[in-house]
Amino acid sequence: MCESCGCGDPKVMPFEIHERILAGNDRVARHNREHFRDHDVVSVNLMGSPGAGKTAILEATARALGSKARLGVLAGDLATENDATRIRAAGILAESITTGSACHLDAEMVHRGLHQLPWRTLDYLFIENVGNLVCPAIYDLGQDVNVVALSVTEGEDKPLKYPTMFHKADLVLVTKADLLPHLPEVSLHVIQQNLTLVMPRPAMLVVSAKTGLGMDYWIRWLEGVGRPRSAPCTGSAGAGQLP
Amino acid sequence: MHEYSLVQAMFDQIGAVIDAQRAVAVHRVRVRIGARAGVDPVLFRTAYDIYRVKTPCAAAPLDIVDAGATDELTLDQLELEVP
Repeated sequence: MCESCGCGDPKVMPFEIHERILAGNDRVARHNREHFRDHDVVSVNLMGSPGAGKTAILEATARALGSKARLGVLAGDLATENDATRIRAAGILAESITTGSACHLDAEMVHRGLHQLPWRTLDYLFIENVGNLVCPAIYDLGQDVNVVALSVTEGEDKPLKYPTMFHKADLVLVTKADLLPHLPEVSLHVIQQNLTLVMPRPAMLVVSAKTGLGMDYWIRWLEGVGRPRSAPCTGSAGAGQLP
Repeated sequence: MHEYSLVQAMFDQIGAVIDAQRAVAVHRVRVRIGARAGVDPVLFRTAYDIYRVKTPCAAAPLDIVDAGATDELTLDQLELEVP
């Protein structure tokens, strides 16, 4: 018997596994997805850095869409219920998923969160992920689409620095556009070019939750995701479309 | 750092294989990680070295195979000691 690795020992045998390490998460995500499709709920996984404006976008979405569609939010955070409280104040059903030390949501957390919401009655369920441009990207939650919020103050090169996150995105919302007059060094064209390098089907909308700029495009994009339910829309806003 | 939760998920997988094969120890673990998996191989190894203490993998080296420009993240092969 080889002393370094045990080869030749008849009691040591190789077993081929070839299974995704996230197979367990994927199974729960499939279960979530079946739930959403069975009940005609469009599910949106909203990701982005801390402070990118995810909660503000949801508040603005409530103002723009809340009278036409039933909206709900599961808001993930390491601590506090601040986001869910803000969203509820905007008139949307919302519950927190407090992750403690976890830097992302996984499918099981979302599944448990669903028990806190009357989600079957919703038209849209937004899952506001933990603020982070790395970890949330690799966990399937059962969502129809991934949307990434990227604020104009974060830097044009974020898509290149965090390619996995933007590679997974069906749409990038460039947020806080009302600040652009104060940021002459920020080029939307450069952001768009960088997204084109990492997104398989580049789609970007420039929005401001504060002024409402671009929100009509965002709402139209969301409504496109809901039709037809059997074929979720990816990037219907078109590559790099700017309002 | 999500590498810890990934390693935890991998140990759940390994535990299921150990139970199914009635193995007494793991002698080697092989995983495949692609460049687009969103996983840092160095951090994954660090998490594995912390997690494996006092487990059936305590003496099992971790082999990380580069899966190229893919999003692959798989438990590929185990070497098991079976009675």
